[in-house]
Amino acid sequence: MTAVVGVSHRTAPIAVREQLAVDAARLGDELVALRVAPVVEVTVISTCNRFELVGAGAAEADDERVAVALAASLAARVPAAAPHLYRHVGREAVHHVARVAASLDSLVQGEPQILGQLKHGWEAARRAGTLGPELARVLAHALRTAKRVRHETRLGAGRVSVPTVAVELSRRIFSELSGRAAVLVGSGEMAEEVARLFAREGARVVVVGRNAERTREVARLVGGEARQWEALEGALVEADVVVTSTSAPGFVIDRALVARLRRPRRGRALFFVDLAVPRDVQPTVESLEDVFLYNVDDLSQVVAESLAARSQEAERAEQIVLEELRVWERRRDAAQAVPAIKALRDRFGHALERELERSLRGRLRHLGEEEREALRVMNEASLNRLLHVPSVRLRALAADPEQSPRLGDLATALDELFGAGGDEDEPVEPGRRSFPPAPAEEAREVGAHAPGRADTARVAAGRG
Amino acid sequence: MSAAVDALFLGGLVAYSVAATLHAADLSRREGEGVARRAGPWVLGAGAALHAGHVVAASLLTRVCPVESVHFALSLAGLILVAAFLVVRRTRRIDALGAVVAPVALTFLVGAQFVSQAQPADSVPRGLLAIHVTANLAGVGLFLLAAAAGAFYLVQERGLRSKRSGRIAGKLPPLEALDWALHRLLLGGFLLLTLGIASGSQFTSPPAHGLVGIARLALAYGTWVLAAAVLALRAIAGWRGRRAAWGTIAGAVCVSLVVAIYVAQPGGLS
Repeated sequence: MTAVVGVSHRTAPIAVREQLAVDAARLGDELVALRVAPVVEVTVISTCNRFELVGAGAAEADDERVAVALAASLAARVPAAAPHLYRHVGREAVHHVARVAASLDSLVQGEPQILGQLKHGWEAARRAGTLGPELARVLAHALRTAKRVRHETRLGAGRVSVPTVAVELSRRIFSELSGRAAVLVGSGEMAEEVARLFAREGARVVVVGRNAERTREVARLVGGEARQWEALEGALVEADVVVTSTSAPGFVIDRALVARLRRPRRGRALFFVDLAVPRDVQPTVESLEDVFLYNVDDLSQVVAESLAARSQEAERAEQIVLEELRVWERRRDAAQAVPAIKALRDRFGHALERELERSLRGRLRHLGEEEREALRVMNEASLNRLLHVPSVRLRALAADPEQSPRLGDLATALDELFGAGGDEDEPVEPGRRSFPPAPAEEAREVGAHAPGRADTARVAAGRG
Repeated sequence: MSAAVDALFLGGLVAYSVAATLHAADLSRREGEGVARRAGPWVLGAGAALHAGHVVAASLLTRVCPVESVHFALSLAGLILVAAFLVVRRTRRIDALGAVVAPVALTFLVGAQFVSQAQPADSVPRGLLAIHVTANLAGVGLFLLAAAAGAFYLVQERGLRSKRSGRIAGKLPPLEALDWALHRLLLGGFLLLTLGIASGSQFTSPPAHGLVGIARLALAYGTWVLAAAVLALRAIAGWRGRRAAWGTIAGAVCVSLVVAIYVAQPGGLS
């Protein structure tokens, strides 16, 4: 099983999170350094909003000790992180990693970057040699869950930032953004971001401002062309999208101006994105044919709708995460029966093989190689048929939470019935078992408490 | 041969129905591109191939030139509509129009089976009749497609002005693509309708058709004038978008009435 220790935007301020960030070039060495007993496998989930270590021990019983060790390592590296650490162990850890992969624990739910960041961490662990079968299974489970969430819900639907909404809306007006003229009137952080996004889509950006020096600077930043304020009307004739963000107290672009531009523009659609407060574009502009106007409130409303829709979808996504967790648990439980099934198969297989070889050396020694091979195939088929029902029942027993405690008793019974001595020709040694105990039974034998308990409270590093 | 004709008809009917369902499913899909988006045009294309096969086989069976029969011409108009859509969608983002094209083609294919076949008067030249029927019905097909583009334009524009992120509006083509499609289809429909009217004027005599006939001719000419006005105002006064959409939809309503009267009046050609 697994343990997760870390900090996120929910528990730690950015000042702490940024101290934990690891340079990509050093990540492999860091992971190797973290792999000290009882930690056998370890990887990292590192984003701008979280830094988590995911580890696994040699046995399920080690989860708590793995969590403590990882927490101690993080606290030693960044002492300020200690009070902000949270941890999840066993089932809760697997559940947490799946939620993270499905972007349910992200600052902006449904954001798609998290999957890439998750895979990046796992790849780093694989290269460093700190990834083993347990964490590989956890990753596969998390990716499967995230895929289902993405396909079956609208968690990632809609745009959730004002600049991306502005670009998305313009796609509903224009067939292509490439080659369009986007005019930025004034300056401002958000307006520049919108202009940058249009430039990235291949649009030609023109920056118009009153302050020539500032206009040139903004044009340089967004990769556009600077023009003087007097050239505004000419720029508007060329424009397809106009992003305004001036500090003017009144309207910079009024209805009369836009109406006047209609003829030279030959009725082309014009999209205004007014990010200024007070507003730069007179609202009645919108009543003109083929003119569309969105101000900050309008854009924020679209963002809010997307966020509300995502929030509703999050409930469905949480259900999917739980469904997948149950599937994962059933598979894991069924795998508990594998050692007993393997032992049974080995035991019967050896017995049949020995008898066949004995016959082939005795009464059947006249058989040719072809007939001998046919007998071996028949032996194998007989073994499969013989063990099919016991295998299915053992797996079913292991996967059933109510019945799984019986698995240990059954393994013991199998041991007593078939296993003692390993070979009917050999004498029975009291106390020797050829059938391995079920994991739960094994845990009882070593005196460990049952694993799977989760502790999601924040804990100080190093405290058990 | 008869069995093959029936099979082609049935195949076309099924393909168009499936294509209509797929395009509608794509429109109602929450987001992204699904199987419906990818498969829709292919199934529609398969429907058109079966439809074309049916027209050819049926005309061979009945020994009737497709363009000289109202049956076939109506069916052919649906086929032209589908072909125009499949060609245009390769370069323009108008896939959503498939949700209209497929049902209209289905209606034309099935509807043609119920049209009573009128026998044209002996005095009507066969070649002229063929041009008249084909041009008019192909023009009707393009008009209907243009009207569909206009309707989608209005929905998309309304969604943008409402400042809300509507599900359907978000799936429709951009306004610019719809306006482009509307203009080209209207222009094509107008030219065909002009040809139809010009060829028809050589052998029609309004008083012979009574009041209904006069109404049909008036609507046909009214449609032609309306389409001409929309095209002229676009060129002269820059009328685009919403106004062009309403004008085209009005034209499509008129032309649909002309077809309805025509279908209800089997003696139209005589």
